[in-house]
Amino acid sequence: MEYGIHVHDANPLPPDARDVCEASWRTMLPPGPLRAIYFGSEFCADLLPGRTEVRRYCSQASSLNVDAVLLTPIASPGGLARIRKLLAGIADIEPAPAVVFNDWGVASLLRDVFPHFPRRAGRLMNRGLRDPRLMEQAPASFSPEGDRGRRLRALLAGLGVGALETDADIEGTFLGDGAEGLQRVLYLPYAFAASSRNCLVKAEEAESIDQCFTRGLDLPCKGPCRGRWHRVDRPDTALPLWRAGNTVFFEVPQCRAEALIRQADRIVLQARPAP
Amino acid sequence: MRILAPLRHSSEVASLLEAGADEFFCGLTPPGWTARFGSAWANRRAPQSAGVPDLADFVRIVDQAGDRPVYVALNAPYYPDGAVAMLSAFGVELLERGAAGLIVADMDLLLALTESGLGAKVHLSSLATCINAGSAKFYRDLGIGRIILPRHLTLKEIEQILIPGLEFEAFLLNDGCVFEEGLCATTHAAGAFCNLDGAGTEGISGETLERYDFWKWTLNHSGCRTGNGYPMGPCGLCAIPRLLATGIASFKVVGREASLPRKAASVRIAAQALRLAKQGADPLVIRQSVVALRGSPQMCEERHLCYYPDLWERKKTAC
Repeated sequence: MEYGIHVHDANPLPPDARDVCEASWRTMLPPGPLRAIYFGSEFCADLLPGRTEVRRYCSQASSLNVDAVLLTPIASPGGLARIRKLLAGIADIEPAPAVVFNDWGVASLLRDVFPHFPRRAGRLMNRGLRDPRLMEQAPASFSPEGDRGRRLRALLAGLGVGALETDADIEGTFLGDGAEGLQRVLYLPYAFAASSRNCLVKAEEAESIDQCFTRGLDLPCKGPCRGRWHRVDRPDTALPLWRAGNTVFFEVPQCRAEALIRQADRIVLQARPAP
Repeated sequence: MRILAPLRHSSEVASLLEAGADEFFCGLTPPGWTARFGSAWANRRAPQSAGVPDLADFVRIVDQAGDRPVYVALNAPYYPDGAVAMLSAFGVELLERGAAGLIVADMDLLLALTESGLGAKVHLSSLATCINAGSAKFYRDLGIGRIILPRHLTLKEIEQILIPGLEFEAFLLNDGCVFEEGLCATTHAAGAFCNLDGAGTEGISGETLERYDFWKWTLNHSGCRTGNGYPMGPCGLCAIPRLLATGIASFKVVGREASLPRKAASVRIAAQALRLAKQGADPLVIRQSVVALRGSPQMCEERHLCYYPDLWERKKTAC
């Protein structure tokens, strides 16, 4: 097993990647070396780093002799333009960071315009069920030899994509058995439950209801969610939930994680839920 | 320039045609599905409350629809192992029995259908979250026929997404969604997850949570209200002229599981708005005609129900 860490600043990283997690996770996770640092956003283009930040993360990765991996979100036309501008601004970095895409428009942009960036398919490509209300009833084991995701994995491999990433879903077979040659990556300990452009945290900044939710889609966002995550208590699930920006996350039950880890080549650890 | 109407039974076809439906969509669960896959939904809605009961009734729907196309939703966001083979075979059978197209979200099912040479019959579900022109081009290159745009897009964004060589469908009436539908990894089979979202979130102000609850209430048809028999939920009727100019081919009225009176009223008011738009009416004239039928002018004037609120200038009044 190897590890990646999703970072949000350039602070020094612990010598053991597992140390970014709470104690219960540290003891459960298998040992392994740090191989990558992840940065960026999968859920909101307004949270993408600037080119200076990307260079700083790449420099940090280089000094640690690990891969730099830029996360990119599902993208509106404006978001896609922002991603294109960012990629153009970091195209000269050597070695080039890998880019995780969660949108076919971003995947096409990488293939057609920026082919030198190594490409990885992100966790939003897996639309499997992650309902926290049902997660604890999910089967404790499953066979990765089924046909779920087989055509998608073949398509990705044919397009030259190097990895397939996901967080913990209920079905549990999305990463497959590795036959397509894609590196299989699992995000822990948080999985997303639901995401939206109608951001509750963005609405905190609104002066009136006429700037909130659907009616605020055309308004820019200053990113008030940066560095914030909010505990959510719901009567219909005992799992710990958080809202971070435009997305609701939950902590994956460890028994579920143990079953999924057996399918993964890399685990990306998140110190906190972040969109 | 067509009104796409939902249905769940052949007995609804005549009323919806009379109301102005130009094309139909429905959901149908394959025979043997439940025995193999249990309670998993094949098309994003409960088969009991939203699905056509069986293939025989589907054939009656096609017959009664005449030359109006009938599309079938096989649009769960993912399928369990073994389901894609069953659904692709079922899709072929549906097309042979008169379906004009299949609404699909799952990438494996979409690829299975395109590999079978049926790409042109595939409509990409809004659940696939195609929200930029590059993504639309990717799907066009796979050979699909139509893209259903997700709900949460501005008119300006829609104008940037549309590309030649594809049909596009846009949401017009009813049934909002708090989250991005394609990025909601929960299931309504366990109750709508969004119903309880907001409350219980630490660190968010009471005022914001109150606004959130009100917004969710409007998405849920303003507490299931009607105005003079017309639904009081999300609405894009005034935006039809702009959407027509953009090149939208089909306007979706949502709600397979709704009662026939609600479906018929929705199609009637949508068809009236489309007729006005084709005659050159501007958004304000359409809004006046909608309010004359539906009432509750404040809900329109303050953009509470708008699918596409950027059609109207934002007011500066606080609320």
